[in-house]
Amino acid sequence: MKPGRIVAKAVLAFAGFIAVFPLLWTALNSLKNSVDIITRVPRLVFTPTLANISYILGRDSVITGLYNSVVACGIAVLIGVVLGLPAAYAVARYPNRWAGDIQFFVLSLRFLPPVAVAIPLMVIWLQLGLYDTLPALIVTYSLLTISVIMWLAIPAFQGVPKEIEEAAFVDGYGAYEVFWRIALPVAARSLIGAVAFSFVLVWNEFLIALMLSSSNAKTLPIVASELSQQGMNVPWGILNASVVLLSLPPLLFLGVLSGFLNSVFRQKKN
Amino acid sequence: MPRRSSLPVTFVVPTLVILLILSMVPTLYAIIIALQNRELSSTAYSWVWFSNFVDLFSDRRFLNAVWVSVKWEVVTVVATMVVAIGLGVLMFEVAAPRLRNLYCLLFIIPVLLPRVSAAFVWKFAYHPLYGIATYPYRLLTGGLIFDPLSKPSTALFAVASVDVWQWGLFFAVIVLKLLETLPPQPIEAARLDHAKRWQIHAYVTLPMLKAPLISLMFVKMIESLRSFDLIYVMTRGGPGVATETLDMYAFSQGFIESGKVSYASAMAVLMMIATVITFTMLWKRVQA
Repeated sequence: MKPGRIVAKAVLAFAGFIAVFPLLWTALNSLKNSVDIITRVPRLVFTPTLANISYILGRDSVITGLYNSVVACGIAVLIGVVLGLPAAYAVARYPNRWAGDIQFFVLSLRFLPPVAVAIPLMVIWLQLGLYDTLPALIVTYSLLTISVIMWLAIPAFQGVPKEIEEAAFVDGYGAYEVFWRIALPVAARSLIGAVAFSFVLVWNEFLIALMLSSSNAKTLPIVASELSQQGMNVPWGILNASVVLLSLPPLLFLGVLSGFLNSVFRQKKN
Repeated sequence: MPRRSSLPVTFVVPTLVILLILSMVPTLYAIIIALQNRELSSTAYSWVWFSNFVDLFSDRRFLNAVWVSVKWEVVTVVATMVVAIGLGVLMFEVAAPRLRNLYCLLFIIPVLLPRVSAAFVWKFAYHPLYGIATYPYRLLTGGLIFDPLSKPSTALFAVASVDVWQWGLFFAVIVLKLLETLPPQPIEAARLDHAKRWQIHAYVTLPMLKAPLISLMFVKMIESLRSFDLIYVMTRGGPGVATETLDMYAFSQGFIESGKVSYASAMAVLMMIATVITFTMLWKRVQA
């Protein structure tokens, strides 16, 4: 048994290493001059430079991309919250014979291949004169955020003990008050996880943004990918720096999302 | 719960109407475009009905894309589940609670990364001369060159490895959490019967988790449809057409090479029909 356990621990440690090392290496490379990156033997010791990062942050296209990403994702998530959470609550707490169908419909939106949505939308936005604008991107992303938030919030609301809500009704609260003052605060932890997840999802979205923008509405992932299209002529350090910038916002939610996972499974256990 | 309340209607109806509009308009429009001969360069078009679809079936590149997509789907789903179950069970068996929490945190990181970032990180790592992932190979062989992304036989697997890096590790965390929710008695009982550790998992715990594991696989099958970002950044469908999945081919037909929007849309419609039918059937079976 002993050698088996040692092997098992080694495998796990290796997996943990693989999970973060490539990213750390990228972060390290973003601090290097080209001479220190383009080496046959990877270099751990080098004189760090902030040139790549300041170059990235000084480029208009990157700043515009950052702005577009923040605005498009932020507003789409807000719309998702406003429309998705109440609907999820109603499905969770007032089940009728369509509840199952509604849930399936919301999930089925995820089956749609992104190209199948993006091609017609491109034509539609072109005809409406809204192609390559943030509103077009926001409306398109709302489909994503509403459905994802709704899908994840239904179990979150179901996890709120019914007794609390019933007690509130006895105390004379109306249905809307119960939602607003009881269900929302009690389920808040899980709901924040669901909202954070939807943000990460649209922040990371690429194909739709690629097809719905040509210059003005480019989001950060598109800008980052364009830097690389100039082949290896672009200094690697700059590319690495743009990858790091793009990856930071989702990683900020690491704590929230792992807490969300824990709460989902704790609920399952009880 | 009060019986009579306007809440369900006021909460559900607007959201559903908006979702229906946002999803049905593009879907129907995709079908309409597929029946026409629109091109990116001009606004004129006429109805060609099913000729785009007929053309597709004699397009060898399309048939190749179908095959690549199927391969991609199978490879990523199977590898993700194997990695997830393997690492999940290992964490359950040998990691102390504190270490478990650390691993869980580490394993969630890759899936949070934008696909574009993940693709770049590994594109650098797989670089034949300067990549960190190919370095061990160079070191062991004394400087031989291994370029996984530009060999047709390995390119798909190299890109798929990034997908598994993101999802397999993440699902390992979920498998661990699922194992933790199991009641301890059956495991104890099996242990008293002198079952080996792997036997306990193969015959007791994993069968007990069959339903959630199948749901997990279902989720991965849906997410595997979104291969575009990885492939676009890492190989652009190449070398040749070795990693050209359906969405990559549709994109390049519609926007890079020829601007045949209708042709691309016909492909997207076929894809949509296939996925909606497959997943609806699978979902009904999972639920049953």
